Order: sequence, then structure tokens, then C-alpha cells
Amino acid sequence: MRKINPLGIAGAAGIVALFLPSVGSDYAVSFSIQLLIFLVLAYSWNLIGGYTGYTHFGQVSFFGIGAYVGSLLIFHWDVPWYLAAVVAAFAGAVTAIPLGGAMLRLKGPFFAVGMFGLARVLEAFALGFDSITQGGTGIYLKPVSDLRPLYYFAAAVAAIMLLLTWKLDNSRLGLKLLAIREDEDAAESLGIPTTRLKIGAFVASAIAPAAMGSLYAVYLGFIDPPTAFASNIELTTIAMVLLGGMGTVLGPLCGAVVLSVVNEVLWANYPQIYLASVGGILLLAVLFMPRGIVNLGTKSGWLAVGRPLFRRLAARHGQAS
Amino acid sequence: MPVAELLIGGILLGGVYALMACGLNLIFGVMRVINFAHGDILAIAALSTVSIAVGFKLPFWVAVVVVPIGCAAFGALIHVLVLRRIEGAPLIMSLLATYALSTILVNVAILIWGGGYSGLPGVLSGSVRLFGINVSTSRLVSFACALGVSLAVWWLLEFTRFGRAVRSVSRAPELASISGIAIERVRLAVFALGTAMAGLAGVLVAPAFAIDPQLGSRFIIKAFAVIIVGGMGSYPGAILAALLLGVIEVVGSYFAGAVIGSAFLFLLMLAVLLIRPRGLLGAGIRA
Amino acid sequence: MSETILAVENVSKRFAGRIALDQVSIDVARGSVTGVIGPNGSGKSTLFNIIAGTLRPDEGRVLVEGRNITSASAAEICGLGVARTFQISRLFAEMTVLENLVAVARGRDDRAAIALAQELLDFLEISDIADRWGAELSYGQRKLVEIARALMLQPKIMLLDEPFAGINPRLQNRIVDHLKALCAKGITVFFIDHEMRIVLKECDLVYVLAEGRLIACGDTQAVRNDAKVLQAYF
Repeated sequence: MRKINPLGIAGAAGIVALFLPSVGSDYAVSFSIQLLIFLVLAYSWNLIGGYTGYTHFGQVSFFGIGAYVGSLLIFHWDVPWYLAAVVAAFAGAVTAIPLGGAMLRLKGPFFAVGMFGLARVLEAFALGFDSITQGGTGIYLKPVSDLRPLYYFAAAVAAIMLLLTWKLDNSRLGLKLLAIREDEDAAESLGIPTTRLKIGAFVASAIAPAAMGSLYAVYLGFIDPPTAFASNIELTTIAMVLLGGMGTVLGPLCGAVVLSVVNEVLWANYPQIYLASVGGILLLAVLFMPRGIVNLGTKSGWLAVGRPLFRRLAARHGQAS
Repeated sequence: MPVAELLIGGILLGGVYALMACGLNLIFGVMRVINFAHGDILAIAALSTVSIAVGFKLPFWVAVVVVPIGCAAFGALIHVLVLRRIEGAPLIMSLLATYALSTILVNVAILIWGGGYSGLPGVLSGSVRLFGINVSTSRLVSFACALGVSLAVWWLLEFTRFGRAVRSVSRAPELASISGIAIERVRLAVFALGTAMAGLAGVLVAPAFAIDPQLGSRFIIKAFAVIIVGGMGSYPGAILAALLLGVIEVVGSYFAGAVIGSAFLFLLMLAVLLIRPRGLLGAGIRA
Repeated sequence: MSETILAVENVSKRFAGRIALDQVSIDVARGSVTGVIGPNGSGKSTLFNIIAGTLRPDEGRVLVEGRNITSASAAEICGLGVARTFQISRLFAEMTVLENLVAVARGRDDRAAIALAQELLDFLEISDIADRWGAELSYGQRKLVEIARALMLQPKIMLLDEPFAGINPRLQNRIVDHLKALCAKGITVFFIDHEMRIVLKECDLVYVLAEGRLIACGDTQAVRNDAKVLQAYF
């Protein structure tokens, strides 16, 4: 099997990302912002879903919370958008702690569907408590003249998430999360602090999406409950990670690139066809390539594997294996 | 506060929830699959009913018979094409698969029927006097049918040979296969039956409520809440919890508006999960 | 008489009215090899799980180094220096053998963790499978990796759940040698099994359970000739 150098890919992507705003058109920048937002969402979901094995359908909860926190800050007090995004990130972390503590008591599919319910409930709250959130009318923000600063912010966050994932993949912490995914009870009885780690991963998966939610509201110049808690966002995020490879470093990147193109081509004009297609892609991925693009052609099994660097590190330490 | 009205309204609503939750519970109990698409099947069944009654101008009872059968066939198809292939996989895979399926169904529904609301005016219209309150005929009939079918399926599970087979596959698949039960056929039958129940629930919902393609995702959460509160794997628990939650939703909506009222169910579900995960009558969650 | 490191005092457990354990008491001396044998259904798995912290007894208590751990969780017990293996091996399937070991290592030093893992793989003579996936291993290899993984916790007490079940005699002897080596290093070994041959040959002390009660206890000579034991087994 050909070995593709992950560093090379990341490097190339990084260079493209850096120079895009200067040479690309406004459309390219706009498309890239969406891609970067999805990238961040995918990498965040990958932490709790891919590595820790607590897959769920409520990622958009924190995206929406961030969107509203950011929008309200900007709308009422004219907070600069980047500050609003940072505060939104805090809000995401702060809400994730109690929510995680409660929801993570559920196992497997219950957790997944419970989180889905959470997202729907938050959407209902956003709609219902309209004295605070303007309800169905939505919040209108001053449109931004230049998208490029937004792009750099999103790119920076995406780069951070990528780097964090890479570090995690090659660390013992990453192994502990994987152990939780593989067999939580066994991990627990061998001394791994599963509750603490689960909540940590969950909170970590909430921070960046909250910031991106706020950014998204600024990007659109508008936010309302169906937009903030859109099922489109949830579905696309999950499909990206599964298609690319759950619990890997490059998986979310691959998935994000593939699905962003599909998104761009179909979403604006044929939203139902887009959503049905992504559903179809997800279904086919589950049936035929559940380990993702990154692991095409590797040994059969249900989940993706990564961590080549870790193995090289270990080989360096003792005898060659 | 119009107590009797809210109470009865809630119970009537609960009947439909019961039918839906029981189907979901059955599928989960036997196959350990959480059928995310369950609600969307209900929605499509409801929309099909409207098409049959309004579009093809056929009597309502035609839909009552045809739609659940169609849903059962569809369920069998899904089982063969999708669920059977992922039987050995981690639970999350079947969840992802049904989630994907749900998305496909919702959007196909929107493409076929449009995203707006429809209804069945004129079918089972009018009202009936019950305990001194005016109750809409359609809701009463829905309730009666839904509860009736739920109880009928319960009887099926408890007292027939098929039901015994289902229960043994649910509790101990390895033992069941040794004792000669065709597990695959039982699973297929159960999934088709559960899907048919969702279909029937959809037909019964059509004359009583305003329906749109997104109905499914609203219902699935409620069905889930019902199952959790009633206790996973407990059929009578699901029926009881459905009626209870119907009342809670109606009362909650009365005080806080429809939107937040339905959120109450989820909050109750969360409370149950944290305080008494077994639910009312459940025997504990065997994940 | 060496000190008792693990003590089970009058433990009883019932499951839905059926008695699984009835007033069972066990003393495990530090640095010894102690075995509990019994036919299937004798309650030894129940006893094991109560000691390991995954079950609570209805009566009685369990003490480790004098500390009452009866209501402690499995993780807490692990923290006290007790490590366990599983009868049906629960290795992390989508991780390599080496990763399985390193995942449970304590402390912050990565290099030390990897070094310890490799040392244990050498000790158990399975270094050649360090890079194989958990899911790919044979039954016997799994058993060995389970033991290695438990040893990563550098425990004082090793609890082994039917370590000899279902493996060929050559591998059984190999495991016995490893266990003896552990004892020589001061680690206490406690296990349950129904392979009488091995247990009676290699233990310092043997307890025999039948139908939830202790019917014999002593060194291997005494137990082998005990009439009650013979009756229970044959």
C-alpha cells in the first residue's frame, strides 16, 4: 500500500490556505470560510465521536449556542466579532460541562439520540423565549464589508484543531480515549479515569463549534433558530467524519473536502436533493466503507485506525518490532 | 385551568404516542436497533394518507389498510438491504444508518409533498361529548385505534407462539437459535411489524393534526422520551408512559406555549435518565 | 506465617433468591500463589467479581492490606494496587498489543511507559506480536496480553480470572512459570479456575468451592485427597 506522507498533505494545505485570500476571488473566500467552519465542526466531533466512541447527533447544539451568544453580544453591545467568538467559545465550554456531566451518563445509542433531543430542545427554546432571542424573526447583524479577516480567524481555529488532533493521535491520552471507545468498562477497571476523560473530550468538542457558530452568524449577517441548529450542519459534520475516517487525523479533512464540494454544488439550489444525497452517502459509507476514505484497503473491521507516528516512536525505543 | 379538557386531550395524544413508541420499543428490544427513521415513516404514512384521501379521493379506511401494509413492505426492504448487512457491527453503525435513512426519507418527502402543512379536513370531523367535554371525533378515533392496536400487539407478544419466539430472540438470541427459532425471520417480521405500527400511527395522526414532512423528527424525540420514561424493553411501560407524557405535553403547552411544551418531554426524559434510569417499569438498560 | 494481603470475610451473595455464595472466607498471604477452584456454578466467578469490585456482596466484607474495599469501585480498587484479567479477554480490539499495554500505564512519562510495556512483552515472551491488532490475536495470545496489560499497573496483587481455561498444556505451563516468576518478585497471585491439574500442582494454598460454600482449604496434598473435594468434582 502506498504510504502518503501526512505531513506533506498538511503542509500543502497550509500553504494554499495561507495565500487564498490574497489571490482568490471573493467567492473562493466565501466558500472556504464554509469549508473551514465544517472542518472545525468535523474535527471537534471527531474528538468525542471518533476517538472516545461517544458518537452523537447533537453537535449542532453548541454551534447554535455560540451563534446566539455571539449574535446577542454584537447586536446589543456592539462587541467586535472576534471577541464575540471568543466569548461564545467560553459559553460553549461552560454549558458543555453540566450538559456533558448529565448526558454522558447515557451509554451508546441513548447518548446519541439524547443529544439529538438536546439540539431540538435548544432550538425550541430559541424559538420560544423570543423576548431574549427574537424568536422566529431572528437577529439581524450589520453585514461585514470584508470577509477576509473572518477567513483568517476560521483558518487559525481549523489549524489549531488539526494540530490538537494530531498531538492527541500520538499521545497516551489519545490511547486512553480509544480504550474508552473499545471497552469502557474494561478501561475503567484497569484504572483509566473514564468519566473525567469523557467529559473532557465532550467539553473540548464544544468549544470550537461555539466559536464557529458565532462566526457563522457574522458571516451570514443573520441568525434564527432553524439556521443556528440546522440539521444540515449536523448531518454534514457526521457524514464528513465517517466518510473520511472516524478517530483519525486526516479523516475529517478528507471528508470535509469531499462534502464541501457536494454542499456547494447542491445546497443553494436543491437543498432537499443535497440533504438526501448526503444521507445517501452516509448510508453507503456505513454499509461499504465504515472505516472511511483514510483506511480504504486496510484490514477489515468496523472502525478506522491511525497513529502511525506512535508506532514509529515505540519502535525507536526498543528493539525493532 | 380546564383540567378535564387538558387531561382528556393529553390522553388522546398519548394514544398515538403509545402506538409509535411500542413499535420502536419492539424493534429495539429484538434487534438492538434504534430506528431513527421511525418518525419519518410515520410522517410519510400521514402524508400518503392525505394523498389517498384527497388526491385519489378514496375513503379513509382504504388508507388505514393499505398504508400500514405498504410500510411493512418498506420495512422489510430496509431490513434486507441495510440492517441485515450491519448486524455484527457496533450499535452506533445501525444508528448512523437509520439516521441517514431518516434524512433521505424526510427530504424525499419534501420533494414529493412540499414542505408545507397539509391535513384531512372533513375526515372524521365534528366532535363528540365525552365526560362533559367536546372532544374531536378524529382524535377520539385515533386514540381508540392506536391504543387498540398497541394492546393487540401486546397480546400477540404475550400469548402467541410468534410472541414467544420474539421474546426469546430478544432475551437470548443464541439460545433461541439453538431451540430452532429462525432468528432472521423473526427479526424481519419484527421490523416489518414495528414499521407497520409507525405507519398506522401516521394514518391515525392525519385527520387529527396538521402534518408536514418534518413531523417525523418531532415525533421521534417524543417516542424516545416515552420509551425512556416507561422503561426500555417494557411494553406496558411504554403505553403507560405515552399516556402520561401526552398529558404532560398538553398541560405544558397550555402554560408555556406549544413550542416549550413539547420541550418538557425531553426535560422529563433527562430527569428520568439521571434519577431513575430504569424508568417506570423497565428492567434496566442492557446496552 | 506471612501477613494477609487480601482477606475475604464471610461473604454471601444471592441472585434472585438463589444462593451464589454462602459465608465464604479466604485469606491470601502476601507473595503467595493462591487458587480457588470449583466446578461450574460453584460461585467462584461471583467471588472473583466481588473481590475485583464489579459486584457488591450482600453480606461480609473484603479487605486489601487491611483496608475495607467492599463498596469500592473497580477503579478505586485498581488504584490500591490490584490488577485483574478477564476470563473472556477484553482487549482493546482496534489497538495494537503495544498500545493496549501503554494505554493503561500510569504516570506521565511516555518513554517509561513504552519501555515498561516492552519489558513486559519480553517477560512473557510475546515481543513478536507487539504490532498486531488486538482483534487478530489467537486465544492463547490474548490470555498472555491480558496478563501483560494487568502487569502494566505494577500491582501488588494480580487477580486472574480462569487464566488456564481453554489453552493447551504447554501454554499452561508457560503461564505457570511466569506466575511463579511474579511471585519471586513479591507480587501476590490469586486466581480462580476449574483446571484442577494445574491448580493443585502449583499453588501454595488452595480453596475449593462447591455450590457457594467452601468445602476444603489447604495445601495441594491435603486438598487432593480430601473426600469432599473428590465428591464435588467426580
